[in-house]
Amino acid sequence: MTASTHHTLAAEDLTLAYDRDPIVRDLSVQVPTGKITCIVGANACGKSTLLRGLARLMKPSTGTVLLDGESIQTMSTRTVATRLGILPQGPIAPDGITVADLVAQGRSPHQQWLRRWSATDEQVIVDAMRATGTLELADRAVDQLSGGQRQRVWIAMTLAQGTDLMLLDEPTTFLDIAHQVEVLDLMVDLNRDQDRTVVMVLHDLNQAALYSDHLVAMRDGRIVASGAPAEVITEELVHEVFGLTCRVVLDEVTGSPHVFPMGRHHRRP
Amino acid sequence: MSDDAYLALLHGRRVRRLRTLGVSIALAVVAFAAFCWSIAVGDFPIPVLDVPGVLLGQGSPKDDFIVNELRLPRAVVALLVGAAFGISGAIFQALTRNPLASPDIIGITAGASATAVFGFIVLDLGGTSIALAAVLGGLTTSMLIYALAWRRGMSAYRLVLVGIGIAAMAMALTSYLLSRAELYEAREANLWLTGSLNGRGWEQAGPLLVAMAVLIPIAIALIPKLRTLQLSEDTARGLGVRVNLSRSGLILVAAALASVATATAGPVAFVAFVAGPIARRLVNGPLAVLPAALVGAALVLASDVVGRRLFEPTEIPVGIITALVGAPYLILLLARANRVGRGG
Ligand SMILES: Nc1ncnc2c1ncn2[C@@H]1O[C@H](COP(=O)(O)OP(=O)(O)O)[C@@H](O)[C@H]1O
Ligand SMILES: [Mg+2]
Repeated sequence: MTASTHHTLAAEDLTLAYDRDPIVRDLSVQVPTGKITCIVGANACGKSTLLRGLARLMKPSTGTVLLDGESIQTMSTRTVATRLGILPQGPIAPDGITVADLVAQGRSPHQQWLRRWSATDEQVIVDAMRATGTLELADRAVDQLSGGQRQRVWIAMTLAQGTDLMLLDEPTTFLDIAHQVEVLDLMVDLNRDQDRTVVMVLHDLNQAALYSDHLVAMRDGRIVASGAPAEVITEELVHEVFGLTCRVVLDEVTGSPHVFPMGRHHRRP
Repeated sequence: MSDDAYLALLHGRRVRRLRTLGVSIALAVVAFAAFCWSIAVGDFPIPVLDVPGVLLGQGSPKDDFIVNELRLPRAVVALLVGAAFGISGAIFQALTRNPLASPDIIGITAGASATAVFGFIVLDLGGTSIALAAVLGGLTTSMLIYALAWRRGMSAYRLVLVGIGIAAMAMALTSYLLSRAELYEAREANLWLTGSLNGRGWEQAGPLLVAMAVLIPIAIALIPKLRTLQLSEDTARGLGVRVNLSRSGLILVAAALASVATATAGPVAFVAFVAGPIARRLVNGPLAVLPAALVGAALVLASDVVGRRLFEPTEIPVGIITALVGAPYLILLLARANRVGRGG
């Protein structure tokens, strides 16, 4: 299932708006191919909106998203879906659908008239379920799973899409800390073993620092800083992005910066 | 690599497909039995088991006339009307993820009825023109609901609320028209509004067959899109579905099916509403459009026979029998929604 061709994703002067108010403003970004990129920022700063724009779930007001150097707006929805997979926030599992049938939906961009279902499709589904540890849940109803299991099922569906570009919006929400780490480890596996390019929105700065090759920090719809986590995460930046006073320490074991928030009661005069 | 897991997965998916197939075959058998029963019953009873033979042209000339000329068209209309309502309801309910969103509740059959009554009472139209008016009315109503439910994208919840409002308005308009009508006209219109198959012949069955031959293949072609659309708009778009196009197509075909059925037999109550949930429970899956067609067909056929037999020789319109079946389910759904705090 190793992705053989590499697809590239970038945005140029991208502005995204729901009504008139721009949420993402004049933003340019180049997603490093074959790497894990994390997007961080305060609530409502436009992370999900940016991800939706990059995946063509919404139309830019101005600017362009470039998939393989070509404007994504000129491509067919299906072409985009065969190169780029997205797990948006709040997907819905229909009542009574089984895990295997939900994961199988990931193959739908590859199905066409008369050519409906093949052995390759089945194999890709099994591989996706094995990679996410959901194979033994295959015949269970999705609405009866725990939050962590359900999240892994959605990731399996996105994996089954078979794209080497994967965009995930807060894949760790609603999970306890062990399951969060499990999902993040899975993303690293996918990146290393299958050479997939991963872009994730994460709300935990420390996890983002630990798991990303490339970190993008956003504020008010703009990118404030981007680069390697150790360069991006500084006390000044955290203050600028989150309005939070903190201490940043380089962890000796992992080699990543670690943020210790300092609330009003923990500051030394 | 364990191939066991692979085989188990294939097996599980095959079992579910076989279950859907088995349920569909069983439902088809039930619908066919109701179809034969409907043809067997009448002033000149014909043994049910003889009906298939007579349908194939192996009966006496008298039986042949009674079955193929007099009773077959009514049974065909019942079958197709039931199937049309069943498919329409299943599509609307799946698209909105709301069991309340069937065309008989969100005002599409009410809109079709209001225009038909308007055509009949005010414009003095005849049979075919009234049917066309009903179809146009139903389609227009569906577009109106879709447009009013739109706010930066479609909200399924708004669609149900807007639809219930439109249904109330259409019914008020119908009542007003009836109050202005001559007594005879009002009685005619009222019978039709109840949902009735009385006197349906090949003049109605023919056009209905043609309409269904066009609409059902379109509906079937759109089922894979519907399956993906159930996963939320963003997810579906990410999976390569052209959301607005597919959704408009589904709404249009579902509204057309409900309108055509209403034009032929009146707004037969609750068939669209109950067929989908019953079918889904039987196949035990998230979507069951074709099984819903069979449930709808069996329901209308059986209700029509019961309505004819119950107080013979007085005929009870089919819509009253289906309402007796559907109303308790609506009450159950509303009671449960109240307790859970959501639309089912
Ligand atoms: N569908 C929508 N319609 C209108 N406004 C929206 C919509 N989605 C998000 N917004 C607004 O856009 C802003 C950014 O939202 P979002 O991109 O979801 O932020 P984040 O993911 O960073 O928390 C918020 O102010 C939010 O209210
Ligand atoms: Mg978000």
